[in-house]
Amino acid sequence: MVAYIVRRMLLAVLTVWAISILSFIIIHLPPGDYVTSYIASMSASGSAVSEGEAAALREQLGLDQPITVQYFKWMGLTLRGNFGMAMEWGRPVVDVIGDRLSLTIVISLAAIIFTWAVALPIGIYSAVYRYSFLDYVFTFVGFIGLAIPGFLLALIVMYVGFAWFGANVGGLFSPEFAEAPWSLAKAWDLTKHLPIPAIVLGVAGTAQLIRIMRSNLLDELRKPYVMTARARGLPEHRVILRYPVRVALNPFVSTIGYLLPYVVSGSIIVSLVLSLPTVGPLLLKALIAQDMFLAGTIVLLLGVLTVIGTFISDLLLMWIDPRIRLGRQ
Amino acid sequence: MKSMRPAAVLTALGLACVVATGLGETAAQTTAPADTQKIGASLIGKLEGPSVVTDVKDFPKTFKEAPTLDALVKSGKLPPVAQRLPEPSQLLVIKPLNEIGKYGGNWRRAFTGPADHENGNRINSADKILTFDYTGTKIVPSLARDWKVSPDGKTTTIYLRKGAKWSDGKPLTADDFMFWYEDIYLNKNIVPTPFFEFQINGKDGKMRKVDDYTVAFEFPEPYSFFVYQLAGSTAIGAGLATRGAFQNWGGAYAPAHYLKQFLPKYSSEDAVNKKAKELGFDNWVSLLRNRYSWALNPDLPVMTPWKTVSPINTPTWSMERNPYFWGVDTAGNQLPYIDRITMTLAENIEVANLRAIAGEYDIQERHMGLSKLPVFLENAKKGNYTVHLDPGLYGSDVTLHMGNSYEGDPEIAKLLRNKDFRHALSLGIDRDQLNEAFWLGVGAPGSVAPAPDTIYSPGPEWNKKWAQLDVKQANDLLDKIGLTKKDGEGYRQRMDGKGRLRLEMITVGGSFVPFTPVAEMIKQQWKKIGVDVDIKELERNLAFTRDNNNENQIITWANDGSEVLFLFPRHALPVDAAEAHMGMAFARWYASNGTAGKKPDDPEMLKAFDLFRAAYGMNDEDRTKAAKELWKIIVEQEWSIGTVGQSPAFMGVRIVKNNMGNIPSRQVNAQHVRTPHSSWPETFYFK
Amino acid sequence: MSGDPVAVQETASADGATLSGGLAKGAGSLAEQRIAVATQWQLMWWRFRKHKLAAAGTIVLALFYLVAAFADFFAYADPQDSDAQRSLIAPQTIHWFDEGRFAPYVYALKGTRDPMTFKRVYKPDPSTKIPITFFARGEPYKLFGIIPADRHVLGVEGADTGKSLFLMGTDTQGRDLWSRLMFATRTSMTIGLVSVALSLVLGVVLGGISGYFGGTIDSVIQRIIEILRSIPTIPLWMGLAAAVPSDWSVVQVYFAITIIISLIGWTELARVVRGRFISLKHEDFVMAAELVGCSKSRIIFRHMVPSFISHIIAATTLAIPAIIISETSLSFLGLGLRPPAISWGVLLQDAQNIQALVISPWLLIPSFAVIVAVLAFNFMGDGIRDAADPYL
Repeated sequence: MVAYIVRRMLLAVLTVWAISILSFIIIHLPPGDYVTSYIASMSASGSAVSEGEAAALREQLGLDQPITVQYFKWMGLTLRGNFGMAMEWGRPVVDVIGDRLSLTIVISLAAIIFTWAVALPIGIYSAVYRYSFLDYVFTFVGFIGLAIPGFLLALIVMYVGFAWFGANVGGLFSPEFAEAPWSLAKAWDLTKHLPIPAIVLGVAGTAQLIRIMRSNLLDELRKPYVMTARARGLPEHRVILRYPVRVALNPFVSTIGYLLPYVVSGSIIVSLVLSLPTVGPLLLKALIAQDMFLAGTIVLLLGVLTVIGTFISDLLLMWIDPRIRLGRQ
Repeated sequence: MKSMRPAAVLTALGLACVVATGLGETAAQTTAPADTQKIGASLIGKLEGPSVVTDVKDFPKTFKEAPTLDALVKSGKLPPVAQRLPEPSQLLVIKPLNEIGKYGGNWRRAFTGPADHENGNRINSADKILTFDYTGTKIVPSLARDWKVSPDGKTTTIYLRKGAKWSDGKPLTADDFMFWYEDIYLNKNIVPTPFFEFQINGKDGKMRKVDDYTVAFEFPEPYSFFVYQLAGSTAIGAGLATRGAFQNWGGAYAPAHYLKQFLPKYSSEDAVNKKAKELGFDNWVSLLRNRYSWALNPDLPVMTPWKTVSPINTPTWSMERNPYFWGVDTAGNQLPYIDRITMTLAENIEVANLRAIAGEYDIQERHMGLSKLPVFLENAKKGNYTVHLDPGLYGSDVTLHMGNSYEGDPEIAKLLRNKDFRHALSLGIDRDQLNEAFWLGVGAPGSVAPAPDTIYSPGPEWNKKWAQLDVKQANDLLDKIGLTKKDGEGYRQRMDGKGRLRLEMITVGGSFVPFTPVAEMIKQQWKKIGVDVDIKELERNLAFTRDNNNENQIITWANDGSEVLFLFPRHALPVDAAEAHMGMAFARWYASNGTAGKKPDDPEMLKAFDLFRAAYGMNDEDRTKAAKELWKIIVEQEWSIGTVGQSPAFMGVRIVKNNMGNIPSRQVNAQHVRTPHSSWPETFYFK
Repeated sequence: MSGDPVAVQETASADGATLSGGLAKGAGSLAEQRIAVATQWQLMWWRFRKHKLAAAGTIVLALFYLVAAFADFFAYADPQDSDAQRSLIAPQTIHWFDEGRFAPYVYALKGTRDPMTFKRVYKPDPSTKIPITFFARGEPYKLFGIIPADRHVLGVEGADTGKSLFLMGTDTQGRDLWSRLMFATRTSMTIGLVSVALSLVLGVVLGGISGYFGGTIDSVIQRIIEILRSIPTIPLWMGLAAAVPSDWSVVQVYFAITIIISLIGWTELARVVRGRFISLKHEDFVMAAELVGCSKSRIIFRHMVPSFISHIIAATTLAIPAIIISETSLSFLGLGLRPPAISWGVLLQDAQNIQALVISPWLLIPSFAVIVAVLAFNFMGDGIRDAADPYL
């Protein structure tokens, strides 16, 4: 058991290192670099950058060195906990990401809670009352969420919210709270703004969850112990909720691991459309600007979280399901 | 077993479809068209703006300040207003457009992130050494209260305001200029190559302190144009705020007392490097660059009317009034009227526009899309704002820059360098169609020449030259070149026998202006003249990189700024090696004085280069003549093909809440006046 | 001694009751006999038919692919033909009856721009009736690229169809939305197929090797999969899309995009395949085949693969909707197909702004195509999976 954990951890380190190299390469694939991106964006806003300045900036940021040198420099910094300076932001990368991290986590958790709270009951109902009218309705509604492209749904929901309900357009806070220090009122303001992002983000995941829950529960419901429980006179709701549902939830444990990177990154596209101050749009803008340190750090962070998440999932699964544990011996 | 009819499902979808289209139909056919007038005229006002009072006789004698500063003055934290302002005869006095304003208020705006510093720079451009009046044509004082150009044109002298102070109360003197010149500009570690604007014919200029409040810029050859460089949006003239935000060391002056601590000269290289590393920067130059920017560094002393409180790299970029601002209105009230500016982050443009529609911004001209004009107008009453359109002065929002130094495909390269070919392409474009589809009919179809009412315009006929639809002439020209063979679908064949003639046009997505759809329409229009074109939309970065390598046959980009040909030539002629869409190799050749790049074969381009270079040393009258000559050459040669311009597409859709005062009904929309600075935002107020 | 018919027959008899119940009520033992000798595929088909939503989905998809194949026929205007005078026309009202007879027609439209609201305003001209005809002659095209034809599903008499008929309205450039939607359907539906085919090949081969051989090979492939899955998709897309040489033609870029999408999607299929291989490895019939002396490839392809091929088909079908959504997302990011290519993603970009929502909502109609296609694939995939699983 311990040997297994140790081996997995070593493999994890190897994986993370491979991810770091890959992330670096991916960010450098587009031709040009941060300085060309900077010049281009300045030109697009009607301003000028001279050639001399461009050369100086390039030298300053070390962009004129070969890519391997840049990589090792970045790795060296990272291992020492210094993730570099975000070029566009003029602040350390940890600060830029850190600012947005807590809000990202809040939104992602809200979306996850929404998804699970909606999908699990529907999944259970669908399995128990299979092929009923409501089963079809729920399945259908659940799937609609999967089918609508997220960016379009976000725009429509945002506009409808504004036009029909006078809601604030996008963002997470009302203008008067945006700059204010944290307080109970501000927290309440945040909660009031969470439904739209949570729904738009969560809607796509519900269909998948419903489908999985439904089929897992169906598998369980056919098992003999369910029939036994019924024959023994247990009320129906206990028959279902107490045993099969809990067993049906087991596979979800393995998906918890994959939630980890999602919680931290949020959804990039939907966050962009809704103008949520999360890590997602930050990553996208960093990639476009070819801000090597910022983009590289975020990608590396997400990669590490995925590896950790998978690891946690595997451990949890082993712990819950004795068959896997015993099978290893 | 019950089942839900799939038919019901599909019917529901179909119903939704019908409902959607029904809504659309009613939306499109409500109002009947009014009588014909030039489209857009109803929203374009009269050009107006505040004026700078230069006659000392008219200066106010007593002064007042904003109530928000009262408490600070009473508690002794701030000196009284009369002591904060410069000496009474040295003030910047502005006569507001309509009336004396009221103090107070928070100006709300949208910004899109740390790269959007121009959003704030342009409001805060009073710290330019000189500036332009509200017409954009006359130079008026700004940071400097007066200037003089020597008769031989070799020396430009500026006179600073005695008693003017930085935002931390320390005086601004000529020493701050010399500090910038000696410790920053001449330091090769910081500024590796001299500014193009600070040179004449490749020879460097010098700065000299005449006395505490007088600075002279000296050149080895006549350079009477230099005063325009000080007034325009250039590296040397655009003010510390703007150049600092761009992180490129311009401005011509800097707060010596604050920045000294970051230079090795005043302590040691080790000490400043250590300080830099502590704060997370690579070395002292990176740290200095960061500290130099007013948008990133709230501690930087500034001369601007507002200073940053919450920097641009946070979700809210907020500014508050600078208690030491050196300007007053004609009644002696210290400017600015507005206490605070708060910019909220909009991660994408749609959100920014929707918030404007919701009435969440007080004055917003940046990031507002022309294509959304109908939506803005529909909601104007509900949002309690007015829409103003401010047309630009340059000829073309979407310009087809021909790759004159393109080499990749010999036949195409030869054609691109053939004037008749360029004319034919231009004559095949139906600009009225483009105007109607993408500019809502508000733009002016034409060539790249600037608006006829600008000083350098060679005349209105040059806006039409080679820029009107004439399919017959286009076809004739192409036949004359030798492209007579056509294939089954009517497209002309290459003369070297390699099949169909196909050009490649590069466009960039996600800009203020819809380059790709315009290119698509042009592609359809060119069917009639038998020219096939491949449209490729690329990331802006990539498009520019290809430009630098002379890989683009045609690239669509704007030609903004070209109306002030000598202040911002890069969109009119390939002379700037940082950005040249119509021939980077030629630009390098020009900029390096012939040592790098490639010399143009085109005698007309060489003629233009010579005339352009000489213009910087001419006097105003000769220079204006030269500019007109240059534009005639540029339009005649058509190295860039203009489509539709003189429009408000680029920062010209201005949303202003109805409770704002001293708002001009029309302001100059141009780079060199740093719109909206020419309207003196210091005089805007909340009614 | 291939195990399959036996295995299926065991389960067939267990399920015989339910199947025969749905098959032919009253046929009684005859139905049960048919079930007993039916092949695996026939059983699947019978069960699949019962699933109403799946059946509906399949019909819808068949229609979509019909449109994709015959896009030139279903479109009645040139999808690239632009004219600012036709900019942003709302879907036209079709008048179905002309003096009592069924003779659909539309009116000609006159358009101007309102100088006060800046919207395009179109007034129908009641004096000009333009009759609509079916299977009309129009712009010539090549069916499947080879057969010349010029019939279109709709046309008008006495006028240019492209200038008179606007079933779904027009976009900013005056291009007919219906015709563009037809061609977009072709592009988007085929990208899905090509992409999933590539994913399938990669997934089955690599997943199979990983599952069957186990050991180090398994470990290495699992690590590769883990690395690929750890990198967030959008940076991966951006990097790969940027690596596509900018001088490639639209068609080449199209294929590059499909390859990019499939390169990321194969991991899911590989996981499923590997799981199946691992569980089947220990089945009796595999051991029996080994003992008899079958070669490895025969065991894999003749015995193991057929027993889970239905699951693979289900997984594949369910992967396609994700690919369709990916294509639209790539377009949103500016990385996927771009104009002048026409796909659902490209059409949706025209709708992804406020003026479309408020002033010209018909631009959102292509989203229905996406929704319906994704739903149909999901239902069909569900149906296949339910039908394939012998334990349901």
